[in-house]
Amino acid sequence: MGAPLAIEAQGLHKTYGGLFGPRQRALAGLDLAVARGEAFGLIGPNGAGKTTFIKILLGIARPTSGEVKLLGGDPEAVEVRRRVGYLPERLHLPQAWTPPAFLASVARLKGAAHSPRSLLDLLARVGLADDAQRKIGGFSKGMRQRLGLAAALIGSPDLLVLDEPTDGIDPLGRMEVRKLLMDELSRGATLFLNSHLLAETERVCGRVGILSHGRVLREGKLEDLCQSSSHYRVSFAPGCDAQALSAAGFASGPEGPAGAWRCQADTPEKLNEALDRARRSGALLVEVAREEKDLEEVLQEAVRGAAAAPPEVREEAA
Amino acid sequence: MLAVAADLIREATKRKWFLGLAIAITAVLVTLSLSLRMEVVDGALAATRLFGKLAKNPIQSVDVALRPVFFAVAAVTFYGGSVFGIVACADFAPTLLSPGRIEHLLALPVRRWQLLAGTFLGVLALSLAAALYGSGGLAVLLGVKTGLWNWRLLVAGLLSTVSFAAVYAAMLTAALYARSASVSAAVGFGVFISGIVAGFRHDLIPMFEAGFGRTLFTGYTLIFPRISALAGAAMDIAGNQPLQVRSLWSLLAGVLVFGGGVLTLGIWRFEQKDF
Repeated sequence: MGAPLAIEAQGLHKTYGGLFGPRQRALAGLDLAVARGEAFGLIGPNGAGKTTFIKILLGIARPTSGEVKLLGGDPEAVEVRRRVGYLPERLHLPQAWTPPAFLASVARLKGAAHSPRSLLDLLARVGLADDAQRKIGGFSKGMRQRLGLAAALIGSPDLLVLDEPTDGIDPLGRMEVRKLLMDELSRGATLFLNSHLLAETERVCGRVGILSHGRVLREGKLEDLCQSSSHYRVSFAPGCDAQALSAAGFASGPEGPAGAWRCQADTPEKLNEALDRARRSGALLVEVAREEKDLEEVLQEAVRGAAAAPPEVREEAA
Repeated sequence: MLAVAADLIREATKRKWFLGLAIAITAVLVTLSLSLRMEVVDGALAATRLFGKLAKNPIQSVDVALRPVFFAVAAVTFYGGSVFGIVACADFAPTLLSPGRIEHLLALPVRRWQLLAGTFLGVLALSLAAALYGSGGLAVLLGVKTGLWNWRLLVAGLLSTVSFAAVYAAMLTAALYARSASVSAAVGFGVFISGIVAGFRHDLIPMFEAGFGRTLFTGYTLIFPRISALAGAAMDIAGNQPLQVRSLWSLLAGVLVFGGGVLTLGIWRFEQKDF
């Protein structure tokens, strides 16, 4: 029997409003599983239901129907929440406190052992060692975000749920945060990330889920999602007949006929037929690889595909 | 729960309202200690000087002479303390429930009812500390100057906290329905004033003609704790006078039932609410 999943959601539905106001469906049958020790990124357009899902995950909101488990247990169980570190999108911090006082407060509420030294070490990890004696009210947005991240790390949690963790942090600071998150992954923690910075998600996460209108549209390993299923990048040796290759169904890339060519083939048979036509024209094949897209293109395709689905399919999906 | 209460107290010590209150109480006590002279001869208050001016009071035994002072202190602690508490504590609950803070707290290994109860306890602790500091400080001051040590002033301070507990329970519950310091304060004042009226219920009922109006007024005032009656009892206790109310325990029971009931409603609402 394998270790329980870090996050397990089945058939999650969440509808807000009802009695005296309009009903708004935030989640429409969400299914998701995140294994222990994984770095999972959840992306999607505004209003997709990402924050609602995170709130249900942590017991901050309750689902209308469906089941969710956190580290194999009930999200509202105290013992489960003790092993979770959470950074909300807009963390409200006490203005008149210093960072060590805030972290000590969080540590007490988590029941986590702490000392003034350990809290200062934690502040140093997030780059706030020099600001330990300043009041939080004087912090910039990025500094507040770093402090929130430090609070999430208290108690060495098994699961880190981070909602826009690098929001407001400068590019160099983001590198530091990424390194910190990778260190946590190395420690064995599971990472669940919600970020609009897709480049950030690509750098940190091994698996990604795309959420739209309350459902997971696509989900899987980053490299699988970003690899096209029907577009290929093909390189030929210099001296190939460009016209013959165009006639064989190849399109030249941005570098022109001397660079890589693109080929669209829905099946391996069609791909090989195209390659055979190219070789018959005298072209020498050097390299064939699936074309890679960035996460932005993957997201766009997934959301457009969902919007373009026939109404009955969309209704059924809803 | 105690950690939540402690954090609230820590937060309050940084706020100008409470710093101002502490400074004001201390200033009054220091000023009185330096400027008030009381000459007691054979247990009688012979002369009183304030800022060097002689107060024209008849020579009376100290406890009789100081009775009006004890009444006044109890009244100020009770009524003044409640009004101050309503204004100064109105935004604790809305701040607890503010976006970004409540999500963070609910994700911690703390049960929902503990967050609410901790907030309630923290406010009560502040109220009690202020009431005991003011009334206790004055008891010590007058004890040193006259030799009359009236610890009943502390009991009056305790009763004012019990009364404020019922008012704050309503404020806390109101904040769960409308996250607003203004609404919370308005509900606090509403309960406070209704409680004062409820305490004079038996005197006011005859002013209504028998019928629907009287029934409505009677029913309305039955809901609220009899704050003015409890204030009167606190003043009687402070002044070492026989209680004018029939039963202090029934008064306290009424306050506790109201406060407990409203707080239970608040906890139920908090447990159900999505954030």
